[in-house]
Amino acid sequence: MSQPRLPLTVISGYLGAGKTTLINRLLSEPHGQQLMVLVNDFGAINIDADLLVSAEKDTLLLSNGCVCCTIGGDLFMAVADALDRTPRPEHLIIEASGVAEPSKIANVALAEPDLRYAGIVTLADALNYRALAHDPLVGEQVKGQVRAADIVLLSKGSDQALLLELAVLANAPAMALSDDISVSELLLELNPDKAPDIAAHTHPAYTSWSAQEPREFSRARLLEKLESRPSGLYRLKGRLLGPDGGLELHVVGAQISVSACEQPSIGKLVGIGPKQSLSQDAIAQWWA
Amino acid sequence: MSQITVYRAKEIITMDPNQPRATHVAVMDGKILAVGGADCADQWGTAVHDDSLSDAVLMPGFVEGHSHMMAGAIWDYAYAGYHDRIDPDGKLWKGMTDIEAVVERLSDQANALPAGQPLVAWGFDPIFLPTERLNRNHLDQISKDRPVAVMYSNFHLMCVNTRALELASYSAETNVEGVLRGPDGALTGELQEMAAMMPVMRRLGIDFRGLSQTAPAIRSFGKVCTRAGVTTATDLFATIEESDIDTLTRVTREASFPIRLVPTLGAIGAQPEEIAARALHLKTFNHDKLRLGAVKLMTDGSIQGWTARVKWPGYVGGQPNGIWNTPPETIFDLCEVMQKNAVQMHIHTNGDEASEVSIAALEAASRKHPWPNSRHVLQHCQMMGRDQFRACAALGICTNLFANHIWYFGDQHAALTLGEDRAERMDAVRSALDEGVRVAIHSDAPVTPMGPLFTAWCAVTRETMTGRILGEAQRISVSEALYAITLGAAYTLKMDHEIGSIETGKKADFAVLAEDPTKAKCLKDVAVLGTVINGVQHLL
Ligand SMILES: [Zn+2]
Repeated sequence: MSQPRLPLTVISGYLGAGKTTLINRLLSEPHGQQLMVLVNDFGAINIDADLLVSAEKDTLLLSNGCVCCTIGGDLFMAVADALDRTPRPEHLIIEASGVAEPSKIANVALAEPDLRYAGIVTLADALNYRALAHDPLVGEQVKGQVRAADIVLLSKGSDQALLLELAVLANAPAMALSDDISVSELLLELNPDKAPDIAAHTHPAYTSWSAQEPREFSRARLLEKLESRPSGLYRLKGRLLGPDGGLELHVVGAQISVSACEQPSIGKLVGIGPKQSLSQDAIAQWWA
Repeated sequence: MSQITVYRAKEIITMDPNQPRATHVAVMDGKILAVGGADCADQWGTAVHDDSLSDAVLMPGFVEGHSHMMAGAIWDYAYAGYHDRIDPDGKLWKGMTDIEAVVERLSDQANALPAGQPLVAWGFDPIFLPTERLNRNHLDQISKDRPVAVMYSNFHLMCVNTRALELASYSAETNVEGVLRGPDGALTGELQEMAAMMPVMRRLGIDFRGLSQTAPAIRSFGKVCTRAGVTTATDLFATIEESDIDTLTRVTREASFPIRLVPTLGAIGAQPEEIAARALHLKTFNHDKLRLGAVKLMTDGSIQGWTARVKWPGYVGGQPNGIWNTPPETIFDLCEVMQKNAVQMHIHTNGDEASEVSIAALEAASRKHPWPNSRHVLQHCQMMGRDQFRACAALGICTNLFANHIWYFGDQHAALTLGEDRAERMDAVRSALDEGVRVAIHSDAPVTPMGPLFTAWCAVTRETMTGRILGEAQRISVSEALYAITLGAAYTLKMDHEIGSIETGKKADFAVLAEDPTKAKCLKDVAVLGTVINGVQHLL
């Protein structure tokens, strides 16, 4: 079990919120990662035919190394199978069912030592969310998915008032999912070593930030610092110099994980969040 | 011409109103040739007379309309439950009514295992042991070296020992929802919900998928059925991969396989049209003892878990309403598509809001794609009132009610979930029959043990574990209950033309009983001696 921990992202949202579209985009962007997608819903993934290598009963194999499976049986056993796969995928994405409680699924990433929590992304449909949230049958479950989110993506249009409402309900950043943004950069693992490639100007919808950090941090001081991070910061990842060995940190939404690692030659950090809730200044000032 | 065998019985309860009682049944080619007296088959030529069942009472083989295949293979694990239970091989496992007894029993079983092999137990139910909660210190008494895991009867919780916690890397630093801590901050060993249980299950090799669809699991389920007098049983919400079909068809074809198995495909993991196509594809593998083709829909959760969708005034303790496992609009989609493709549906509905939505979905589907003999079945139907039963009668929807629940959980429902008056009208078999609905009653094995005579007794007496009568007005007669476990259930499976009564032309499927259930002192105590299926005896 010397393999790196498998990051797990849960994509949640009620029927029609755009989960499948988001996953299709994620699968077809040139992120260079071998993703495994587990679909636990009634929907169908329509992969671009150019990308498809083979389609066998419940499993689609893509030319970029990604795999997509529909789960008829137990989701958690399927997650266990993903961990046992060789080669192990680089990132596991679960498309939760339209009525799933995403935190109940994502919790496995906190429980299982071979997994790493990589966030709950809840999609809301700009046209239907308000009606659904007030629906006597499903309203509570729809709002519950937003409450559990580390980031809320609004599909099918932008609506500033609704974005604000969702951000408040989720206590997390919310942004419109426009067609021109790279979803893989927002959702997949950040690479602190490739940080210079992520330039803020290339993505008008995000603020991405990176820093080299020569200072040494104790675990306690780092945790204290993280407590006061800007609320719009969706994810932060990096390695820092510590008093006895390095510290590796992963922050996703409200989840903070700090673990020991090899002492790096210099500390590096990379973070990302929606532009409308996170500014370069806010994050730079916070870290300074 | 094939051989005719005339069996003599002490008594034959036929469930055929033309001839409710008989002493002899003639069997040819696995079918019932004639019913009546010793001479019943004389017109058909020479017969062999067989007296091997002459001390037994015969009934039509019982039909379990809602059970799960894992009821057999779950016995691969050690039993840790409160109630006495009999395993597929007929061994009685006494219930354990306190934690010390659980520890003692599991210690004996652990000692019989090779060193290091995990001990896994099932069926523990803290609801009946209102003392200290089971914790890892208890389980450490069983073993400190080998991992020990005790699964609770609802399969949503487990308790494990220190060794198992270590294997999953759960430690004092672990801060994960569902990994419980005591007042002292130390891990208690209790794990709640799959996310917290999965790391332990993975490392202990606990995989529920292996409890269905393997040859031993299928055979084991057959044994469970025979012990209960059941000759036709469902595996409701089956996951059947293409690679499972071969085993399923092969094992069910074995001459020694003692039941007609009715697996219904779980409607999940694909679009409705694909699910319908899959169900119809599976149907092409059918043979005499394997009946595929129907699907099972989930809607809500369970009442005792406060996850059932209930109408106003909700739960008596003020808990929020339950959850949909399938969104209502998907229930509508599924109903429409299955109806359009003539795929029969069994729909799980515990709460009355779930049954209301399901009835509405079936009504909408039937307006678009009329199918007069669809016989879709609402399963559990625990809170349905007369209004909903009337709607079912009008739409031709069958109901399969969870009668065993009254005895096992009735007291809890009165006290904790629904409150007195609604608990008294739970599982309202009387109302369903009075409103003209086709009715079956079930065990949901392994949730409660399979035993149609026990299920019938529950519907007749409505007695709870504490001896209370819960809803006297909903009691039914013994003959109504016997009908529900034979022809009533057969109707819900669209098999009433083949099974469910002992009459000429039907399959020679019998429950072999030690006494006449209509005259027995206590219906549930009538001993099952075995079964006959297609004229072949499977005696215990
Ligand atoms: Zn069931």
